[in-house]
Amino acid sequence: MSAKWSIFKTGAICLVCFFCSMAVVAQNDSEYEERIEQYQKDWSKLIPRYTKVQYAGSMGLFSLGTGWVYGKNNQWETDLMFGYIPKYSTEHGKLCITLKENFTPWDLIIGQKGFSFQPLSCGIYVNSVIDDDFWVSEPGKYPNAYYTFSTKIRFNFFVGQRIAFKIPKAKRDWAKSLALFYEISSNELYIVSAANNHYLKPSNYLHLSLGIKIQWF
Amino acid sequence: MQERLCMRNLCIFFLSAFILCSCEELFEAHPYDGKITGETGMNAKNIARIVNNCAGKQQIRFIMMGDTQRWYDETEDFVSHINSRNDIDFVIHGGDISDFGLTKEMLWQRNILNKLKVPYVVLLGNHDCLATGEQVFRKVFGDENFAFVAGNIRFVCLNTNSLEYDYSHPVPDFDFIDEQLTAQATEEEKTIVVMHSPPFSDQFDNNIAPFFQEEIIKFSNLQFCLNAHEHRLEVKDRFKDGIIYYGSANIEKRNYLLFTITPNGYEREVVYF
Repeated sequence: MSAKWSIFKTGAICLVCFFCSMAVVAQNDSEYEERIEQYQKDWSKLIPRYTKVQYAGSMGLFSLGTGWVYGKNNQWETDLMFGYIPKYSTEHGKLCITLKENFTPWDLIIGQKGFSFQPLSCGIYVNSVIDDDFWVSEPGKYPNAYYTFSTKIRFNFFVGQRIAFKIPKAKRDWAKSLALFYEISSNELYIVSAANNHYLKPSNYLHLSLGIKIQWF
Repeated sequence: MQERLCMRNLCIFFLSAFILCSCEELFEAHPYDGKITGETGMNAKNIARIVNNCAGKQQIRFIMMGDTQRWYDETEDFVSHINSRNDIDFVIHGGDISDFGLTKEMLWQRNILNKLKVPYVVLLGNHDCLATGEQVFRKVFGDENFAFVAGNIRFVCLNTNSLEYDYSHPVPDFDFIDEQLTAQATEEEKTIVVMHSPPFSDQFDNNIAPFFQEEIIKFSNLQFCLNAHEHRLEVKDRFKDGIIYYGSANIEKRNYLLFTITPNGYEREVVYF
């Protein structure tokens, strides 16, 4: 009798232990999944959210790029763009790369069809020509501080405006919204040149660019 | 109402964009893109005028200046000053027409110099060689080495900015100098050698400076040499052989060198404007 009871007791303890262990495993499983979810969520912030195509703007005749939207009201944007500079009167066409920071503080909704107007977009972009004839700092053959600027890296400043169209949810096949924009820009070398000369007029050192932004999500 | 507001905003948007379209050169691919608008081949066109105007003349009066980089206002003042005189045959710009080698710098300076009533030529300066600068310079102005005969004076204009080049590109180009020596038909012809960077400057290939001098003194009746680059007025007998190098100041100093070559010699004057 006592022997049977002990067998039963052992069996019961084993069962309890088994279920307990299952519960522990289950708890581990959900923790793992949560972590992975968080991990993927963190990395998913790095997925570019839009594609931009820009015409002119001293960053290539055409440039194509992608970027990230962030900020409380999505007012900040960082673009990474690749541009093509045609040959014109030089020896060959060139590629260039641009890192661009945009600030668009206001988004004014127009009507009920999804249109909005962004009265100001402004920012700065750094452009680099991918070509051996250009240097970041002067090559070693020159005496120190011979040329005090870089032919490769240009700092550009811009202001512009945008109109945007939010695609209604029912009609969203690919993109969430579209925006058309124009920008007026100049670079540090033009500004330095204009600063000491009356001869140079805004039409000499300011340039226009046009672009489209397709926001995927 | 909302629709109308939408239309109005759209109109403002496109209007402001298109008002800008009235500017020349509205779109820019890149500041070094080499997109040239307007006249090209300035040196060749002006040399034709110089040769024509000076043919048969016994007395030639010309101006040496240079280093106009980023001094647009001063260059404009220089042009209007020269236009107010009527005793000049032509102007030699000793190079550094641009500061950064940007395409538009060359075009802006060309536009200013094109207002000169008298013909002008531009030499290649070291700043003009930067990035795509030289490629644009060649199109807008002309070759790095060139020569012309005004009256009975041969002007040999040389690229001497050796620091900007590798050994694969000869600077100064002795083949060009030899060609000019051979081209010199008469012993009566006078010669003036013009360059941007003078011997013993930071740009010149100083290893061959004595050989360079040995070559150029072979020119018949070498009057003197002219250079820019140093941004100051200079009178230097650089090789202690009696051949004087006259250096022009940068245009910011608001002066230029005026030379009058007569059958018996030459006169030099520094003119402030």
